[in-house]
Amino acid sequence: MTVLMMAPMILTVPMIWAANRQLNSADNGCLGRGIAQKRYVKRVAVFTSLYLLSFGVMIFASIEGEPPLWLRTFLAILPGLAVIGIIWSVGRLIVEEEDEFLRMLVIRQSLVATGFSLSAASIWGFMEVADVVVHADAYWWVIAWFFGFGVGAISNRIQYGTWGAL
Amino acid sequence: MKNRLKVLRAENDWSQQDLADRLGVSRQSVNAIETGRYDPSLPLAFSIADIFNMRIEDIFQRETDG
Repeated sequence: MTVLMMAPMILTVPMIWAANRQLNSADNGCLGRGIAQKRYVKRVAVFTSLYLLSFGVMIFASIEGEPPLWLRTFLAILPGLAVIGIIWSVGRLIVEEEDEFLRMLVIRQSLVATGFSLSAASIWGFMEVADVVVHADAYWWVIAWFFGFGVGAISNRIQYGTWGAL
Repeated sequence: MKNRLKVLRAENDWSQQDLADRLGVSRQSVNAIETGRYDPSLPLAFSIADIFNMRIEDIFQRETDG
């Protein structure tokens, strides 16, 4: 289960490197001004690193023994805060992106991601009540949201002929 | 909405990137506007009109207009 939780976030690391390389090599050309996107990539890189670090500490603490309740609570909140940081980065990108078309694409991606993850959560939740599927911890819906973000990019490609800036 | 952006750009011998740089937007934006996939905001439409020294309605027309 731990590996399953770590895998999606670890997979974002090469994605972040690739995105940063692409933004740098584009010389602010075909990817627009790119300043807001570079900030976004850096922020996501920082928060993904914090997620991996805090998650590692949480697992290490649970292996080492039975930490007190306050410490378990504190350590359990940290990865969630890092994920909130990634979502905040998407919000800042929408605020800081000066290119109205690219901003619209990110907003569209976010709406697709939200619709996708909430729909998936609703269906899974009721299937869980009906004992059709196994229990899924709530943090999986954030991962579903990020997957939906990718679906949103595909949708943008179909509708507007571009994947967008991300 | 349809527009004459591609023709006007060609008359000035500008690439999509050239026009994008002049407008301060991405090349994708210019491409999306040219192909009619995206209708620009009023401020961006004014910027486009200013660059070509034309009125907005001389560049952008409703689909129903001849």
